[in-house]
Amino acid sequence: MRNELATIESNEQISSIYQQMVLSAPLIAKDCHPGQFINILPDSKWTHVMRRPMSIASQSNGKISIIYKVVGEGTSILKNLKPCDSLDIIGPLGNYWTDFDTDYPVLLAGGVGIAPILYLHDHLVIKKIPHHLIMGTRTKDEHFFKDKTNDSIVLTTDDGSYGIRGSVINALDSIVSGKNSPIRFFACGPSPMLNAVNRFATDQNINCYLALETLMACGFGICQGCAIETTNNSTISQTYRNQYALVCADGPIFDGKDIPLC
Amino acid sequence: MLTIRIGNLTFASPVLTASGTFGYGDEVSDLVNVDLLGGIVTKSVTLHPREGNPPPRISETQFGMLNSIGLANVGVEKFCKEKLPKFKKMDTHVFVNIAGYAIGDYVETLERIEVEDSTISGYEINVSCPNVKKGGMQFGVDPKLTEQLTRALRDKTDKVLILKLSPNVTKIEDIAQAAVAGGADMISAINTVVGMGIDIATRRPSLNTVFGGLSGPAIKPIALANVHKIYKSVSVPIIGIGGISSAKDVIEFMLAGADLVQVGTSNFINPAIGINIISELKSYCEKENIKSLHDIKGTLEYQ
Repeated sequence: MRNELATIESNEQISSIYQQMVLSAPLIAKDCHPGQFINILPDSKWTHVMRRPMSIASQSNGKISIIYKVVGEGTSILKNLKPCDSLDIIGPLGNYWTDFDTDYPVLLAGGVGIAPILYLHDHLVIKKIPHHLIMGTRTKDEHFFKDKTNDSIVLTTDDGSYGIRGSVINALDSIVSGKNSPIRFFACGPSPMLNAVNRFATDQNINCYLALETLMACGFGICQGCAIETTNNSTISQTYRNQYALVCADGPIFDGKDIPLC
Repeated sequence: MLTIRIGNLTFASPVLTASGTFGYGDEVSDLVNVDLLGGIVTKSVTLHPREGNPPPRISETQFGMLNSIGLANVGVEKFCKEKLPKFKKMDTHVFVNIAGYAIGDYVETLERIEVEDSTISGYEINVSCPNVKKGGMQFGVDPKLTEQLTRALRDKTDKVLILKLSPNVTKIEDIAQAAVAGGADMISAINTVVGMGIDIATRRPSLNTVFGGLSGPAIKPIALANVHKIYKSVSVPIIGIGGISSAKDVIEFMLAGADLVQVGTSNFINPAIGINIISELKSYCEKENIKSLHDIKGTLEYQ
């Protein structure tokens, strides 16, 4: 974990609502893994008492990136930052996805949850591990991956304006039924989507690893504010916590079996 | 210049970190050299391990945050085995914050730590917990209970005993005097202010427990007022806590009567903020030609 003053390399709109910011942050880039996040101080005059945690969306040559959509004060400030501006970040934080070699990886991303999934996708491409990537958005113009689709990259839209109509779940049946060997889900997205993925995995007896998001204050286990309810503690590092896990320190990646279905 | 001497203890600077905002000091060692701090106060330790409250446990407010963590901690047994030995490597004052639900809980927790060969400088007692034997009333709202609790702990330790007071009382002076009568060496103030947040979209409170504790810069004026009231009513040293995030804030608390301060919520924005404040304080003293910062304690001027 480092507190690094990163330099902004680029900060561009990549679709109708998503922005991607590339940061030169050699210390954090050196140590990070797919699924981990950074905690961002949007500017030095920030009057809120919490940083803004965001998943790492890529890592290469001393650079990392984030993908975000403008929803509040913090992301509005981020959007206005220019190349060469600096940004105070702490990271890499949290645990990360592992075990890509045994089961066939199926990556599932909903909305801005694409960020850590994209990093994992890059990682698997570099390691030459065949996998599927399914990305869902509400509409066609939110997608930024349209020119990259192929047999193993599938896009969905809620309104059917591009790719498969519906959520990422609607794309799963054909992929899952076509595979005879075991598969494993790696997913990030809004809660209803993660719940649906987890339910699908439970019904079909598929291993499933979810990247979760909560409000956080410290980002590394001190404040204990980002607790979530868990059904068992196989992924919880601190043994005194059985009922609750911390998204920042025990996660953000959790075994779907530990997360209650709703 | 920044050295503060209190009893047998010498603090390299008046800046400590507040309970619950700095873990046990070891989690932040990648980011902060804790030896540069005046001291650290640990997360609250209770007799038994505690899971803490159901989520959501935190919420942001204007210039502050609400929390309702529920004293999630490893319990005193594991604390003694896993955390206490790590303090030996730290060259700063460590105060163990103790919480409990009956006087016996506090005493048993303190006694368990006392039998260990440790390097800790003392204890900070969290009296903002509900007393299960008195229908859930907090210890810190009742002078008699505060005095009883303090005396029970005083009998069991020669180390420094700090009572951390709650601002959620009618007259904090009465509680401070009771703590001193019970044998407290120092008073720290304030703990969080009772608060509540509401999400209008869901019509639900922002915390699972409905009410929580407000901290951060939003509570600094409340903290200053309470510190000054305590300063006017007792003569023991005072540790000021509440929304501190700059050297200017520290000076204000010292003028109001504090000997030392604790930085809390601001650690979440910048875990090294305590150290930054210490260097700002040095510059302030040099600029203002102050030989000993401790001399400004209580020098607030008014008729």
